[in-house]
Amino acid sequence: MATGLPPLLAIAFLISTLLPLPISLAGEIASIESVPDLQKLMYVAVDGYPCVRLLNLSGEIGCSNPGLSKVVAPIIKLKDLKDVAEPHTVLVTADEMEDFFTRVSNDVSFASKIGGVLVESGSSFQQKLKGLSPDKMFPQAEFSPYKNADYKWNPTASSIMWKAYNFPVYLLSESGISAVQEFLSKKEMKHKTFTSHVAEFNMVMETTKAGTHNSEVCLQEGSCLPLGGYSVWSSLPPINVSSSNNRKPIVLTVASMDSASFFRDKSFGADSPISGLVALLGAVDALSRVEGFSNLKKQLVFLVLTGETWGYLGSRRFLHELDRHSDAVAGLSDTLIETVLEIGSVGKGLSGGTNTFFAHKTRVSSTTNMTLDALKIAQDSLASKNIKILSADTTNPGIPPSSLMAFMKKNPQTSAVVLEDFDTKFVNKFYHSHLDDLSNINSSSVVAAASVVARTLYTLASDSNDASNSALGSIHVNASFVEELLACLLSCEPGLACNLVKYYISPTNTCPGNYAGVISGEPSSKPYLGYVSDVSRFLWNFLAEKTSVQEGNTTSVCSKGSCSKTEEVCIKAESNKEGTCVVSTTRYVPAYSTRLKYNDGAWTILPQNTSDSMGMVDPVWTESNWNTIGVQVYTVQHSAYDNAVLVAGITVTTLAYIGIMVAKSFITKALKQD
Amino acid sequence: MTVAAGIGYALLALGPSLSLFVSVISRKPFLILTLLSSTLVWLVSLIVLSGLWRPFLPLKANVWWPYALLVLSSVCFQEGLRFLFWKLYMRLEDVLDSFADRISRPRLFLTDKMQISLAGGLGHGVAHAVFFCLSLLTPAFGPATFYVDRCSKVPFFLISAIIALAFVTIHTFSMVIAFEGYAKGNKVDQVIVPVIHLSAGMLTLVNFASEGCVIGVPLLYLVASLTLLHCGKMVWQRLLESRNQSGPALR
Repeated sequence: MATGLPPLLAIAFLISTLLPLPISLAGEIASIESVPDLQKLMYVAVDGYPCVRLLNLSGEIGCSNPGLSKVVAPIIKLKDLKDVAEPHTVLVTADEMEDFFTRVSNDVSFASKIGGVLVESGSSFQQKLKGLSPDKMFPQAEFSPYKNADYKWNPTASSIMWKAYNFPVYLLSESGISAVQEFLSKKEMKHKTFTSHVAEFNMVMETTKAGTHNSEVCLQEGSCLPLGGYSVWSSLPPINVSSSNNRKPIVLTVASMDSASFFRDKSFGADSPISGLVALLGAVDALSRVEGFSNLKKQLVFLVLTGETWGYLGSRRFLHELDRHSDAVAGLSDTLIETVLEIGSVGKGLSGGTNTFFAHKTRVSSTTNMTLDALKIAQDSLASKNIKILSADTTNPGIPPSSLMAFMKKNPQTSAVVLEDFDTKFVNKFYHSHLDDLSNINSSSVVAAASVVARTLYTLASDSNDASNSALGSIHVNASFVEELLACLLSCEPGLACNLVKYYISPTNTCPGNYAGVISGEPSSKPYLGYVSDVSRFLWNFLAEKTSVQEGNTTSVCSKGSCSKTEEVCIKAESNKEGTCVVSTTRYVPAYSTRLKYNDGAWTILPQNTSDSMGMVDPVWTESNWNTIGVQVYTVQHSAYDNAVLVAGITVTTLAYIGIMVAKSFITKALKQD
Repeated sequence: MTVAAGIGYALLALGPSLSLFVSVISRKPFLILTLLSSTLVWLVSLIVLSGLWRPFLPLKANVWWPYALLVLSSVCFQEGLRFLFWKLYMRLEDVLDSFADRISRPRLFLTDKMQISLAGGLGHGVAHAVFFCLSLLTPAFGPATFYVDRCSKVPFFLISAIIALAFVTIHTFSMVIAFEGYAKGNKVDQVIVPVIHLSAGMLTLVNFASEGCVIGVPLLYLVASLTLLHCGKMVWQRLLESRNQSGPALR
């Protein structure tokens, strides 16, 4: 026996060294070099965009974790969700989304099966989907200046973004979709009995924690912040604020910079309203190359508003500031504003080779007729470009949802025109959805709109009915500039890291989130720039440069944002660069509800005031604060398995103990000593 | 996998060592010291080896022979260290024996010496288990589990605990065999310990193959049980010999 064992072991050794030779190493393994690496492989972080909790005076909308802890629920596809006992994480595709959320709001027993929702919206679905609009059929109908609130401007809408959901909803990005699919494909192979794949949602909203469920209470508690931001206005040429006489009448051009969708961070708003914004900027760029603006009869003012999606916060606050003649609007007054031209959605005007836009007027008056005539002159001067401007259908109840509604409510005598790419109802089938992106618009439509607007504004400013073709014909919109700007504001590659934007500011994010966001800190016309969004800062710097006049040949540099002369502003001064001082009238105007007041670091809601008719119907939107938001997926074992492992460990330990005791007694017996 | 599973895995790997510690080692302070010093020696050996291999890391993940080389060099180094450890122990044994003579107490019995070598082996085994299993076990206390593609039948932590248990057994009992082999000059025992260690190390390379752990781990346990059997047989023989040799004086 003693001689037999060593050869046995020698054979075992030989076999073991020979065994690895014919075995091929199957596939690549992710090399785990440390415990954090192991944790990263175990807990797969999923990239995406959340739906967050928003509150108004009467309640809440949006999504949130139902309690204070993370939501952990097994993943299941929507079609497999039939009879389940506990809440699950449902995988919903973009085309199932509207029906799903409608069903959740109507069917309580269905809603009780939902623990969390992951929405897959890959590019493959965009072709299948004809339209998706989570907004209402008549967005912001309560602000309309006309009675017909049942008119369906957006007939295919589902209104799902205005309801409250008691579970977290997360839109998966492209990388998130592939991570989840790769993770789930491992499931199909083995261990269905004692493991399950779960998603863990960490989307606890502070208003849920604090138990504050409407705007008034949450603002008091400090668990939310009001929606808003900073609008920007600029005048061409700069206004001499100190001399209050010799003020010319003003032609005001308006666009908005904010959109919204079911998911806070994925709302490009390409057609509505960013196409209008880009058209405005294209027109400003074209007009900045025209000489002799100070000789024209009228003053041009460009206004880009934010917060328009959430109760026309930008326009209401702007009009409010005009009434109070505050610093933010120094140089303007509402009596001077003669005409208003708004540029709405202009990204989908191209059809059959022609760009068609519709001019919706607020009322019939000599001023609106003048604007329509100017539009016609501009259209005719651009005859080669196949652009058509048509008046909107007279059977429309009035102007479509736009900032002009706020202007009209304030002053029903406002003479204004809004230029849109639709007539009786929206052509944008993805209005206020996460799919209203660059592929939803046509850049040539935006260029056409910019060309028309530029020439219209020149015609209005020069107040001449004869189309002086030489001056008008020299106004050209730079199409490559428009396309570059569209890529900056409506995509993540290059996004705000594009050269055009980086020339003016140093952006904090690459992906433009055109959601208005919350207004932080004290609202003022000279805000702390860290609280102003990237797009607002870009617009301020861009408009300031384009509308500036050069005095002499010298340009002085400025750091810390201050210039020596009062009419100068310091532009391009971010990221430790030295800025340039230019003569320009460009200001920030805070955009927030007229029902709110900022006092000593806290927001309070003012009581209803009958003189502020829009404030009476204002829901006063706020957004809940939160700590972190994230989703990860991992595999869990059933507790029976865990307990089995514990029992096995205890058994092994006990058996070993018994074995040792037996061996000890044997040895002591053998020795009869110790 | 929760706290229950985490404790379960820890007990699987180190439970028998704990039992051994409680029932044998903790009775005598000298054994505790031996255990600690051998743990330290083993960890130092790992540090030296990692220092030697640092320029060649990271090893390519889909070729097996660098790992074979790594295992071979490590085993050789550790076996050399084991011999030095034994030499040191012999020096110490002389000191203890002469001290015992001076104070007219009995010298070290055979069972004492075996317990010392057992403690030494346990020190090696515990160090291995802590280093290769326990240090990876922290994620096991969380809610998630993990399956490796190449060994997809059982969770990663379970297979790691099982392998660690095998190595604890191998290290513990091969130290007893080795010390006896060096003391008696028994060539078989002297050679068999490095052979066992090397074959155990090489068998873990089988886990590189897809589902290789199904073959590799049972074979590893075969080696472990062979070690246990050989040790038991050797101890039994030695005890019988010494009992038959003379009555009270056991060397």
